[in-house]
Amino acid sequence: MSRNEGHSWHQNLSMWQQICLMTSTLIGVGVLTLPRTTSSKLFEAGWIAPLIGSAGAFVSLWLIVKLSKRYPGETFIEYSHKVWGSASRPWVGKVFSLPWISIYLVYLYFSTAIVSRVFGEVVVTSVLWQTPLEAMLLTMFLLIFFLCMHEVEVVARVNELLFPFIILPLLFIALASFQKAEFGNLLPINHVSIRSMAEGVYEGIYSYSGFEIMFVFFAYAQKNTNKELAGFYSLLIAALLYMLIVVAGISVFGYEELQRVTWPTLELVKTTQVPGFILERLESAFLAVWVSAVFTTVANAFYVVVYSLRQLFRKGIWFQRIMAAVLLVPLFYFSLIPQNIPEVFQVASLLGLSSLFINLLIPVVYWVVILIRDMMSKREEKDVDG
Amino acid sequence: MGKYLRCFTLFFICMCLLTGCWDRRELEERASVLAIAIDQAEEDENLFKMTVQIPIPIKIAGSSGQGGGSNADAVKIMSATGRTVTDATNNLQMRLNQRLFLGHTRVLALSEEIAKEGIHDIMDSFRREPQIRRLLWPIVVKGKASTLLEIKPGLEQIPVVFLMGLIENGMKLGRIPDQTLGDYFNQTSNVTMEPFLNYVEATKKEVSWKGVAVFRGNKMVGILNRVQSWALIQLRNEKPGGDIVIPLPNTKKGYVSFRPHFVKKKLMIQEQGDTKSKGSESFSATYHCELQGDIVELTEDLKIPPEQFIVQMQALIKKEMEERAKKLLLQLQKQYNSDILKLGLTLRAKHYHEYWKKHNWKEDFRDFPVRVKYTIKLRRLGMEMQ
Repeated sequence: MSRNEGHSWHQNLSMWQQICLMTSTLIGVGVLTLPRTTSSKLFEAGWIAPLIGSAGAFVSLWLIVKLSKRYPGETFIEYSHKVWGSASRPWVGKVFSLPWISIYLVYLYFSTAIVSRVFGEVVVTSVLWQTPLEAMLLTMFLLIFFLCMHEVEVVARVNELLFPFIILPLLFIALASFQKAEFGNLLPINHVSIRSMAEGVYEGIYSYSGFEIMFVFFAYAQKNTNKELAGFYSLLIAALLYMLIVVAGISVFGYEELQRVTWPTLELVKTTQVPGFILERLESAFLAVWVSAVFTTVANAFYVVVYSLRQLFRKGIWFQRIMAAVLLVPLFYFSLIPQNIPEVFQVASLLGLSSLFINLLIPVVYWVVILIRDMMSKREEKDVDG
Repeated sequence: MGKYLRCFTLFFICMCLLTGCWDRRELEERASVLAIAIDQAEEDENLFKMTVQIPIPIKIAGSSGQGGGSNADAVKIMSATGRTVTDATNNLQMRLNQRLFLGHTRVLALSEEIAKEGIHDIMDSFRREPQIRRLLWPIVVKGKASTLLEIKPGLEQIPVVFLMGLIENGMKLGRIPDQTLGDYFNQTSNVTMEPFLNYVEATKKEVSWKGVAVFRGNKMVGILNRVQSWALIQLRNEKPGGDIVIPLPNTKKGYVSFRPHFVKKKLMIQEQGDTKSKGSESFSATYHCELQGDIVELTEDLKIPPEQFIVQMQALIKKEMEERAKKLLLQLQKQYNSDILKLGLTLRAKHYHEYWKKHNWKEDFRDFPVRVKYTIKLRRLGMEMQ
């Protein structure tokens, strides 16, 4: 059992589990800054960005689904060397696929670091002023480590379990804050230039980074489920939720004020009045629930890293556990590299840019290679025939 | 043996994880500030004087029959001076045995003098401090702000609770606008509108709402009295405001009082015919305001049939209200040049290209033609037939 190689065990992620995996990874720390980042270029029309962004994300996700359909039951790590190599000389595939795999894993690894850092910053600046940042990071990493002790099925179930805790609070906040909304703040929508539109949409697209974990998880989807549809639904859920949050943010604060607050969604929580004052300080409750949203984002990404390494070296679950423990140590130090909040945001946006790059580049390059190979093999067949 | 080891491990893990909040502070271990007042220091113009009101938990007796008169002891009022708000807070902290906690602050009183000089520098620390809630009420106080904290209302043990009740009740009746700190921040950031705050006067024993303080940017430019403030909240917030008392024409000491219950407002922006020849100078705005309400008092019998009475009264109230609105606009436009009506927001939202882009609203509000048309719907006459 401990020495199986991943795909030899049955494929059993249901469609709902796939949706939960994707959506809960998509929704992470980005939500807290989303109203500010989208309205910085698009002003009143900031809510358009997540909508268009989701279309861009869907193209990339669709390519990933197609890849996994071509190599059913195999993860990105496993089919990579089939894409790059030939049957006669397998080492070619191994060598050529290595840079792509390592880009992918390094990206996921660092995104784990920065997301946990942003999470720590939020908690330390807004609720636990006395707690050191390191303590926040350590507890988060311990949780991640605990998840990495288990197989893929457990990850899917954890995501399924936490899914409502991610969606419902955000939905509640977005809807409850409309009682203070000033809808005049959302108009006019037609005063941005094409250029700033493009820039705004770029901000929107990178709020969707996270679905690249499906490079690996799609391999374990049940055979008869429609992966495209699962991807479509999860992006739709995320897009609607993002749009609601941005509309709420802009209509309550106005885009000028949004540019001045660090965590707009958190401020939205602070201004939301629960009738009857049952919860005086809603932001503590919100952050407590929101930990699960961050956890699923960080843990899923890190899980993919260690799981991929396990597949790459063809080792068992114990290797994965040891790897998780070993890799978390430098991660702790990496996440402490940015010295202040502006630096954190700088690194975060750099990471967003690279996610855009990786998510589009890898599937496109892979498909180009596959298509070229298909053409060549057809020609060979023709040669043989003729 | 294994069982004991397992039990011990479980016990050990529980000990590590269930330590609770290591930096918790009990309620009585912190000095919760309920209200802050900021004045200019008497001895030095460059210093702020900050006064806080801290309730004494032991003295606040809900059940024990302490009776009236002892309320003077239920709170501690302290003040300290400093170059900035934070400086003053630090000076105050040095005189307290517990840590100051600003999370429960509900009222921020500003003296008129300080407000007129501009409160940008004061507000910065309130924007940054995560403990400060955006739902607290900033209030401009006539004379010294600290007088608001020193009142002895007698009806409540804690003066601020009395003050909060006063505002909250006024809000429910629709007579006092709900203007929170968050609203103030949003309105100062938003280029289409100007902020305003509630304006009160405090004497030794009591406090009374006098109207609103009009701001331009971060500077207070003047006040609106009660009657004008009610016209303002009818046109701005669709809240009814207070009773309207009008002297009856052709009588010696006859008065009629009208109590509005429902307000509906519609803002129409007209473009007059020759837009091309006259440029964009031909825009004008009309507020259509409908008031529904009852007659609550009539001190002199007019001796006319009810049908005629209703028509006459409606005309009388309409004339009075339109006059009040005219005075309000005259003051806002010509005297203060401050758009607290949010007229600019509608202009920007609906006429961005034709009007907003070509004008500097901060200056042009002064000369923008605005008309107000009231429709009075007198529904009932109380328990009296006429």
